Amino acid sequence: MGIRERVARLVGEMPRDAQFPSQGATLFVDLERRETITAYTPLGVTRTLLGGRGANMYYLYRLLDESLSPLDPDIPMIFGSGLLTGLVPSAARGNVTSWSPESGVLLDCNAGDYFPSFLRMNGFDHVVLYGKAPAWTMIMIREGVVTFEDGAPYAGMDNIDMRDAIARDTGGTWARNLAMVNITRAGENGVLTSGVMAGPKAIYARGGPGAKMGALGLKAIVTIAQTKEFPTAQPYKPYNRVIAQKLLATSVVKNALSVHGTPFLYKPSRLLGAMGTKNNQETTWTEALDAGHIDQYRPGMEGCFRCPVNCRPLNDLHKATPDRYDKGDGPEYVTLGKFGPNLGIDRIESVIRLNNICNDLGLDTASAGSALAWAFELYQRGIITTADTGGLELVWGDAATIERLLFMMAAREGFGAVLADSTRAVERGHYPPEAMKYRIAVKGLGQSDPHDARILKAFALGLAVATRGMDHLRNRATLEINARINDNPAFKEELYGGAVSAEPTSYVNKERAVRACENIFAVGDSVGMCRFTTKLFNSPSLPGLEEFRNQLANVTGLQFTEAELDQCGLNVMGVERLINHRLGVRRKDDTLPDRWFDEPNPAGPYKGERIDRGEFDAMLSRFYEISRLTSEGVPQESWRKELAGALGA
Amino acid sequence: MSVTVNFPASLSHLAGQSVVVRESVSNVGQLIQALERLAPGMAKELDDPLYNIAINEEILLHSVDSRPVNDGDVVEIIPSIAGG
Repeated sequence: MGIRERVARLVGEMPRDAQFPSQGATLFVDLERRETITAYTPLGVTRTLLGGRGANMYYLYRLLDESLSPLDPDIPMIFGSGLLTGLVPSAARGNVTSWSPESGVLLDCNAGDYFPSFLRMNGFDHVVLYGKAPAWTMIMIREGVVTFEDGAPYAGMDNIDMRDAIARDTGGTWARNLAMVNITRAGENGVLTSGVMAGPKAIYARGGPGAKMGALGLKAIVTIAQTKEFPTAQPYKPYNRVIAQKLLATSVVKNALSVHGTPFLYKPSRLLGAMGTKNNQETTWTEALDAGHIDQYRPGMEGCFRCPVNCRPLNDLHKATPDRYDKGDGPEYVTLGKFGPNLGIDRIESVIRLNNICNDLGLDTASAGSALAWAFELYQRGIITTADTGGLELVWGDAATIERLLFMMAAREGFGAVLADSTRAVERGHYPPEAMKYRIAVKGLGQSDPHDARILKAFALGLAVATRGMDHLRNRATLEINARINDNPAFKEELYGGAVSAEPTSYVNKERAVRACENIFAVGDSVGMCRFTTKLFNSPSLPGLEEFRNQLANVTGLQFTEAELDQCGLNVMGVERLINHRLGVRRKDDTLPDRWFDEPNPAGPYKGERIDRGEFDAMLSRFYEISRLTSEGVPQESWRKELAGALGA
Repeated sequence: MSVTVNFPASLSHLAGQSVVVRESVSNVGQLIQALERLAPGMAKELDDPLYNIAINEEILLHSVDSRPVNDGDVVEIIPSIAGG
C-alpha cells in the first residue's frame, strides 16, 4: 500500500470537525501532486497521546512503511504543535517527526521560536508532508489559505539570506506576523547532520530532518497571519498569570536563564570531570569557556512567542570590521560543549563564531560536533590519514580547519561528504570497521549533551533508553547533581514517585528518576511547553502536570487527572518504542558507547568511574519493568492492545 | 581562619563578588550561617537546587552541610542548569 492509500484510509477514520475548543486541523500535503486534505486528530488519540509530539506519533505509526528507507518520499514528515502552544507562557514549541536518515530510528525533534505558534494561528495543529515535489517548492500558509509557491529562487540559500529574502518578498515581519521553517544548502544536499531551521538559531535539529525535508523537495513552509485569540472552553488568561508568576519566581529562570542563557552547566561538568573532551577521551577542560566569559559578548537576550523568559542569548564579537559570522544568536550549552572541549577548542570567541556558522548553514551542532570529534580522534589514532581527508590535518583545537570543514560538510565537498554522512560513515565505507569503537552514539545518533555520563548513572540510563538516540532532552534527570535535592530524601522521593539514591554514582533506583522525567517531558512536548521551564529538567518548582491539566481544562475543556497525564507521557514513549521496534530496535540498542563501559573516567574527583555492564543491565531491566515494557523494550501485550485500540491500528 | 567565598553573577546577594569569611566555621552548614550574617537572606537564596557548592574546585553533590571547611579553603557557589 502506498502513502496515498495509507493517508486516504487514515483520513477516512478522522473527524471532519474540531473535537474540542482550540483544536486546529491536520493538513495533509501531497507535494508531488500539490494536493491537500484536512481532517482533525480523533479525540481518542488526544486523550491517549495529547497533541504535538504525542499526536505526531499517531500519524507516523499509521503512515510508516518500514519496508522503504527514511528518505523515500512515501515516508511522511510531520510537524505538530502542542495543545497549549501559542496560548500559554513558555508554551511555544512544536515537534517534527519522521524516520531518521541519520540514525535509522525514530526522528523526533522539538523547536520553538514562532513557527509552532503561528501555524496554530493559521488554524493548523499538524502538517503531514509526503511525496516529492517535482521542483524546489515552498508552502505558503497565509491566513489559513495554503498555496504552493516556486522554491527555486531560494534554492542554494542558507539561513541568513533565506530569512532576509522571505521577509523582503512577503512583506511580513518576523515575530509579528511571519514565521518559517526552512532548510539550507545542507538540507538540499542531503547532509545527515542538517536540521530544519525555525528561526535565526532555533532548529529542529536531531536525526537529519533537513535532509528529509530536502528529499521531499521542500525548501520552506512560511506562515503569515496576524496573531489572534483562540476560541477556548473557558477563560484561560487568569491562569496564565499563575503560570507566568511561577516561571518568574523560580530562581533558575529569574537569575539564570533570563539573564545569561544556558551555558552554566559547563563549569559543574568540568569540575566533576564529566566534560566530554576530545571525543570523550578526556573529561575536563579549561575554565576559559566558563559561562561568565561569554558575558562580554552578549548584547542582549531574545525569546520565543509570548515567552516571558527570553533565554536566547545574542552574541557580538565586537569586531571592527565584522563579517556575517561575528554576530548572531547563542551559543547554548550544547554548542559550547560540542564545539569547545569536544573539539579541543579553548577560545570562547572561536566557539561563538562556529556557533554562528552552524546557525547559518543549518547544521545540528550536536551531530555536526559529534561527527567532527569522531573524525579527529580517528585521525589522531592513525585510523584515517591525510589521504582520507584530502590533505587536511585534523588537529584538536584548530578552529580554522573546523570552520572550513563545516562549509565542506554543508556542500558535501571533499572530506565534508564523509562528515555529512555523520554516524553512518562506517556503514557507507568511509571509515574502517574499527572506527566504530570510537563512535560516541546510541541508536545511531551522536550524543547531544556534551556531559560525559560515566559518573551519573541516571543520566547514563536516560541516554541509553531515549527513543531518538543519545539525547539528554528526552529524559535527563538533571536534578541528580543538585545537592539540596540529594540531601532531602523525602522531597526527592516525592519528585520521582519513589526513593532514588542520593549518590550520583549509584545505580540504585535511578530508573525511577528517568521514568518520571521521560513521562513529564513527553507531556511537556505534547502540550508545547519548553523543556527549560518544565518541572524536573532544571527545577522542581516549575510548571508540571498540575499546571498542564488545569490549563488543558481551561483551553480545551478536556479533563485529565495528573495520573492520566502521566500515563499520556508513558503512552507517547510506548508508541515511540513500537515504531522503533518496527525499525529493528531491540534491547541491545538501549546501551551506551563502549568507551563508557571499558575506559575509566580519566580526571576529577570521580576518576576511575565507569559504567559497569552488569549493573547497567540490571538497571535497564528495572527500567523496563516499571515502564511496562517487555524484556526487549516494547510495551507489554496488554498495554500494546490498549495502544493499538487508541491508534486505530 | 579565613575562607574565601566566590559568588556568581546570578545571585541577588553579593552577585559576582568574592568575600573572605574570617569567622571560625567547621563545615559548610556553619559557613552558610556566617554568610547569612554578612548578607541577610543569603541562606534562603542558597537553599535552592539551582546552586551547588564547590570547595577548592571539588563540587559537592550530596551531604553538603556536613562537609568540612578548612582554613584557606576557596568555596564557590555554582549555578547548575542544563540547556539544549
